[in-house]
Amino acid sequence: MENADIALALTALACLLLRSAGVWLAGGLGGDHPVIAWATAIAQATLAAFVMLAIIAPSGALADVPLAARLFGLGVGVAVCLGFGRNLLPALLVGVAAMLALRAILAL
Amino acid sequence: MGSVTSSRSAALFGARDAVGAAGVAMAATFLAFGAAVREAGLSPGWALLACWAIYGMPGQLVLVQAASTGFVGGILPAVMGAIAVNARFLPMAIAITPLFGVAERKRLIPAIPFIAVTPWAAAMRAFPEIAASVRLSWFLGFGLTSWVVAGFAALAGFYVAGMLDDHARAALLFVNPLYYALLLAADLDKPAPRRAILCGAAAAGLTFILPSSMGLLAAGITGGTAAFLWGRARGKR
Repeated sequence: MENADIALALTALACLLLRSAGVWLAGGLGGDHPVIAWATAIAQATLAAFVMLAIIAPSGALADVPLAARLFGLGVGVAVCLGFGRNLLPALLVGVAAMLALRAILAL
Repeated sequence: MGSVTSSRSAALFGARDAVGAAGVAMAATFLAFGAAVREAGLSPGWALLACWAIYGMPGQLVLVQAASTGFVGGILPAVMGAIAVNARFLPMAIAITPLFGVAERKRLIPAIPFIAVTPWAAAMRAFPEIAASVRLSWFLGFGLTSWVVAGFAALAGFYVAGMLDDHARAALLFVNPLYYALLLAADLDKPAPRRAILCGAAAAGLTFILPSSMGLLAAGITGGTAAFLWGRARGKR
């Protein structure tokens, strides 16, 4: 078995255990229990931190896109989402297009 | 959706929801992942298994990065890093379990592999509109569909890796955070999510001073705890 296969198997098992532990821990709690509210806040905050990092300090090919273009795409996408009935797909496509457009303009 | 009461209809609605914006975001992200797997010298089977067995992109990327260096630091540090960046599965599972309205925990076993950011975030948005009795069916429909999309997008990414230039790759990598940002933005009118989003965004700075594998988890715990305490303090006033 290759190193990559062993690493994959161990990580997959650990992720399954994390998910199962969450379900088991919450199984006896009501939806309005403070632990549930706390866990929900942590999950949402983690997602917000992930977005923040991915936009402000990305890695890979996205790091080559100017910050202004990334922020512009994000701003346009969010504006379209909030302005047009929280419809995610058009907002997603317009946001990506806006990022690419400003990137192209800045590269001129 | 509130009028949907049969499990079959709810599962179909879930599947339909998964091929909208969520499907585009999922496909774009996993397409880029498949390309990265090929560049790391791993097999398409590994890409598919990583998608379906781990189903958490940050952890998958940690393993791919470690594989691309030949696991010079050893397997265990790479695995620990992948687990740490995917540790959000624990609070996500805790948060979503009561919303299923299922008394018997074993009935949730089929849903466990699908507890990941995209299905979780979509479910948190959709569940208030779905009758509690069919939420599990909706989640299984959504989760299974997005799981299949992810796997096949990764395979597609593996085989088209050479055709993707930096511009295409940047666009693909931008879709995922933008999708999550839109999901969060759609919740900004609700006080509790708004507090969590603000505190999480503010705590993101922790990732610059902590080891990369722990930074996101620390930011989530710090921001989420601050948001929770903020909400409790407001509630007491």
